[in-house]
Amino acid sequence: MTAHPVATSRPIIDVRGVWKRFGAAEVLKGIDLAIRKSEVTCIIGPSGSGKSTLLRCIAFLEEYSEGEITIEGELLGFALENGRRRRVSDAEVARVRRNVGFVFQQFNLWPHMTALENVAMPLKLARGIAREDAAKRAQAMLEKVGLGARAQAYPSQLSGGQQQRVGIARALAMEPHIMLFDEPTSALDPELVGEVLQVMRDLAAEGMTMAVVTHEMGFAAQVADTVVFIDHGVIAASGSPDEVFRRNENPRLRQFLQNYFERNVFWQGNGDVAAT
Amino acid sequence: MSFNPAILTDNWREIFDGMVLTILIWVAGTAIGLVIGLAVAVIQLFTTRWLAAPLALYVAVMRGTPFLIQLFVIYYGGPFFGLDLTPLTAGTAGLALYGGAYFSEIFRAGFLSVPPGQIEAARMMGIGRLDIVRHVQLPQMLVIILPALANMTVLLSKETAVLSVITVNELTSVVQSIGSTTFAFAETLLFLALVYWAFLEIVTAAARRLEKRVGRFMLRTQS
Amino acid sequence: MFDFNLIIKSLPMLLQASVWTVIYSLSSVAIGFCIGTLMCAAGLSASRLGRGVAAFYVSFFRGVPLLVQLLISYYCLPLIGVNVPSSVAAVGTLALCTGAYIAEILRGGFLGIPHGLVEAARMVGLSRAQILTRIEVPLAVRFTLPSLVNETTMMVKASSLISVVGVLELTRLAQNIATSTFQPLEIYLTAGAIYFVINGVITLAGQLAESRFRLEKAR
Repeated sequence: MTAHPVATSRPIIDVRGVWKRFGAAEVLKGIDLAIRKSEVTCIIGPSGSGKSTLLRCIAFLEEYSEGEITIEGELLGFALENGRRRRVSDAEVARVRRNVGFVFQQFNLWPHMTALENVAMPLKLARGIAREDAAKRAQAMLEKVGLGARAQAYPSQLSGGQQQRVGIARALAMEPHIMLFDEPTSALDPELVGEVLQVMRDLAAEGMTMAVVTHEMGFAAQVADTVVFIDHGVIAASGSPDEVFRRNENPRLRQFLQNYFERNVFWQGNGDVAAT
Repeated sequence: MSFNPAILTDNWREIFDGMVLTILIWVAGTAIGLVIGLAVAVIQLFTTRWLAAPLALYVAVMRGTPFLIQLFVIYYGGPFFGLDLTPLTAGTAGLALYGGAYFSEIFRAGFLSVPPGQIEAARMMGIGRLDIVRHVQLPQMLVIILPALANMTVLLSKETAVLSVITVNELTSVVQSIGSTTFAFAETLLFLALVYWAFLEIVTAAARRLEKRVGRFMLRTQS
Repeated sequence: MFDFNLIIKSLPMLLQASVWTVIYSLSSVAIGFCIGTLMCAAGLSASRLGRGVAAFYVSFFRGVPLLVQLLISYYCLPLIGVNVPSSVAAVGTLALCTGAYIAEILRGGFLGIPHGLVEAARMVGLSRAQILTRIEVPLAVRFTLPSLVNETTMMVKASSLISVVGVLELTRLAQNIATSTFQPLEIYLTAGAIYFVINGVITLAGQLAESRFRLEKAR
C-alpha cells in the first residue's frame, strides 16, 4: 500500500489521559497511547485489566469519562465549549469515526443476511453506493479473506473462523484508515484461530494500521511494531515486542507472561516441559 | 357532549349486581376450566391414543375458533341435543370449556418440563403413576407454569364481557342497557372501560406478587 | 335432523362473508403492527414521555375487553363528531387493540437482540433509523414470529366481535342466516369450521416462514 511508518508523523489515533469509570469502578486510569500510520499495536494484559474497554473507547462504543481521544486530529465524541466538554450527536460521532473499522470478539454478523449482504449492506446504506457496485466490492472483499465461494451462505452456515473473516471483510469494505480488533480469535475453536490470524498478518503486511487486543502472544511477537501491556487500567509497559517480551522487568508483566506460557506447555518426547 | 355521572349513581344497584355476577362467572369458569385442563392434559399424556386424539381435536377447535361462535353453538345449538341452557349456564360452561383448552396446553407443557429422570427414579421406587403426578410432577411444574396460568386467568376475566351477547346479565350487559335506555353512552361506556381496566390492573398486580412469592419459596427450598 | 342441505346452500354466502373477516383481521394486524412497532420503540426509548405514553397505551388496550373498546368506538366516536363507517371504526379499534399486544411481543424480541449486532451496525456508520429498520425490526420479527402468527390467529377470532357493532362479516352473516332459518346449530358449526380453516392456513403459513428463517438463524 503506502509509505513506511515514520515515527514523527501525526498519529492516526491519539489517546491522552483517558479515564473510564463504570459507577465507582475505575477501569482506565489515565491512558496515553499514540497509534501511527501503518503501525500494528498489540494490546495485551490480564482479563479485566481494561484492554477491551480501551479499544471500545477508541471506537466510542463506550463513552470515556475523562481525557481526549482524537482520530486523525478530530476530537472523538465530544465538543469543547468554554472548557467544558459536551457529548456530540450520534451522526457527528459516526462522521469522526467513519475511517475506523472494528472487528468484534463475537463476530456480530447479522444473522438474517448472507455473508455478501453483511458486507454490502453498510456500503449501500452508510456510503450510498449503488447496489451492483456494493455487491461487487463486497464480493471482492470476501475473496480477499478467502471466502469468495461462500458469499451466499448465512452466518449460521459458516464456521467461527469463516464468520470472523466475514467480519473482517465487512470492516475492510468501508476502506478504513485503521482497523481495531477486539480479541478477534478468543471465541474460536483452537484449530480455527490460524486462518483468522493469517488474514490479519496479510493486512499488516499491506501496511494497514491496526490496533489488536489479543491473547495470541505469538502473533504479537511476530507482527506488532508496538506491544502495550495494560494492567489495572494503566499502561504498565510498552515498546517493541523484543523490549516487552524479553527485556522488561516489570514483575506484573513477568507474572502475566509466565502464566501464559504455563497454560501453553505440552510434554515433549524426552519428558521435558517446553513452551509452545 | 354533556356528561352526567348521576346516571351511574342512580343505577348503582344494578351495576353492583352486574359486577358480582361477572366475578362469579369468572371464578366459576376459571375453576372448572382448570379442572378440565388438568384432566385433559393427564389423559393426553398418560393414557391411550384413543382418548388423546379426540381431546387434541377439542383443544384445537376451542383454540382455533372465536369464543363468540362457541357461545352461540352452546346456547343456540344446545336445544338440538335437548340441552336447554339458561344464558348464565351456557355462558359459564362456554367460558370453562374455552379456558380448559388453553389450560390443558399449559399443564401439558408443565408436565413435560419435569426432567424424566425424576419420574424414572420414582418409578424405580415402586410409586404409582398417579402418585408420581401428584407428589413429584405437580408441585414442581406448578411453580413453572404459574405465570402462564395467571395470564390465562386474567384473559378469561376479559372474555366474560362477550357473554353479554347471549344476554347474560353481567357487567357489560347491564351497563350497556343503562346506556341505551338513557342514551348516556359516553358516561356508561367509559365507566365500563375504567372498571375493567382497574380490575385487570389489580388482578395482574396480584398475580405478579403471587409469582414472586412462589418463586422465592422455590429458591429457598432448592438450596 | 341435522340439516346438511342448509349447510351446502348457505356455504357460498358464508364463504363470501369470510373474505371480509380475513380482510378486516389482516388489515387490523397490519396497521396494528405499525402501531405496535412505534409503541415498542417509544417504550424502549430514553424519553420519559415516550415510555409513559407507551405504558399507558399497552395497559389500557390490554386491560379493557375488546368488546367494550368496540362499543366505545361505535357509540362515542359520533358524539365527538367523528363520523366514519362502522367498519372503519371497528378495524381501527381492532388495530389499536392488537397493536398493544404486538408492542409487548416485539419488546421481548428487541430485548433479545444481542447488543453486539447493533454495535456492529453503528461501527459501519448506519444511522439510528437504518439500524431500527434494517437490523432491529427484521431480527425482532424473526425472533418473535411464532408469537406474531399466534396474535394474527387471535385477531381472526376477535374479529367476530365486530358483528356486535353491526359490521357484516362471517359471524354477523351466520347470525342473520341462523335467525331467519331457525337452524342455528348447523350455521354456527359451519361458521366455526370456516374460522378453524382460516386459522389453520395462517398457522401453516407461519410454520413455512419459520422453516425458511431457520436457515439463517443465529448460532
